[in-house]
Amino acid sequence: MLKPMLISMLICLSVVNANHVLAQALPILSGVGGAFSAIDADGNAIESTEFSGNVVVLAFGYTNCADICPFTLGYLKRLYAGLSNEEQQRTRIVFVTIDPEYDTPGHLKGFIGHFNKDFIGLSGTQEQIDYIVSLYQAEYKPLSVLDIPTQNIRRVNPKLFTNNQELKDDKASLYSHTVTLYLLDKQGYTRSLEYTGTPVDEFIDKIRGLLNE
Amino acid sequence: MNKSWLMRSIILLGLIALTVMPTLQANKEKPQIKINDFWIVLAPAVANNTAGYGIIKNDGGQADTLIAIECDNAHVMLHKTEINSGRAQMIHLHNMVIDAHSEVVLEPMSFHLMLMDLNKETFSSETDISLRFKFEKSGVIEVKVPVREPQY
Repeated sequence: MLKPMLISMLICLSVVNANHVLAQALPILSGVGGAFSAIDADGNAIESTEFSGNVVVLAFGYTNCADICPFTLGYLKRLYAGLSNEEQQRTRIVFVTIDPEYDTPGHLKGFIGHFNKDFIGLSGTQEQIDYIVSLYQAEYKPLSVLDIPTQNIRRVNPKLFTNNQELKDDKASLYSHTVTLYLLDKQGYTRSLEYTGTPVDEFIDKIRGLLNE
Repeated sequence: MNKSWLMRSIILLGLIALTVMPTLQANKEKPQIKINDFWIVLAPAVANNTAGYGIIKNDGGQADTLIAIECDNAHVMLHKTEINSGRAQMIHLHNMVIDAHSEVVLEPMSFHLMLMDLNKETFSSETDISLRFKFEKSGVIEVKVPVREPQY
């Protein structure tokens, strides 16, 4: 009778201790993150509180990015693949565009879906995006194609603008932007700032720790 | 007779050496550019831009400068990703010096080819894309480059 009680107590203590260790290792980063509204890749309004109960990895980027964002999404694809099915169901990979004018929900869905259909692309009004960026103390800055002096390295295939879509495409801008990966716990608190240089196994351990909190 | 033949042979070899050595030396000092292992990222169907990676190697004894990259299927630029204080910035490069006996590696989050305004119909994993690298001294070097899914 006493033995099962002692074992139960020990298990409870070890869980409490593990959570305490994790809380120390991944303290809440106050001032980074918070509740926000956006538009999901299906064009529906979404509140960040809908992610409650799930661990979230949040990244900023845009679809005209050729090097950083595809690499980041490739990294997140590997990260997600390292989780079990059950862990995947309780984890959300969220990609917030910093170029909502160009990255419409449909466009974002096509881009993000190339990496993983489960990934969530968020767009919105410029005000919504700027608010999310400010919540996470992130930054972005347009770097217009037109501002780039090409000199010798230049286009060789002149483009004819036959319709408005092509004109819009050509006006698409390039940006510098924050590449931090924000790890949020099940309550939506930011617990860790990671980047694509974090070994995938190490990142997975942190996600698991938060899932088991 | 034999002595005379031997002398003539030595003189002849000497003359050959004098003729060939400067040429060999000059060749050694010339840039010797190789474009190795280049590939282009198979971008999502909706994307208008993508990146290219590979190695530009100079086995020669003199530096050379990459001054242009051309492609009939896209607008190509040379960029470098730099990360400062958690923010990534793309730096546009007008040219790139490849020093003697050195190489420049183009890889994700570093130097890369930025291919913009893709002619999407021509980009597939089944067709190689032709890239023309133009160097100040070595002239134009054309390579056929595969398009493939990245293995990040």
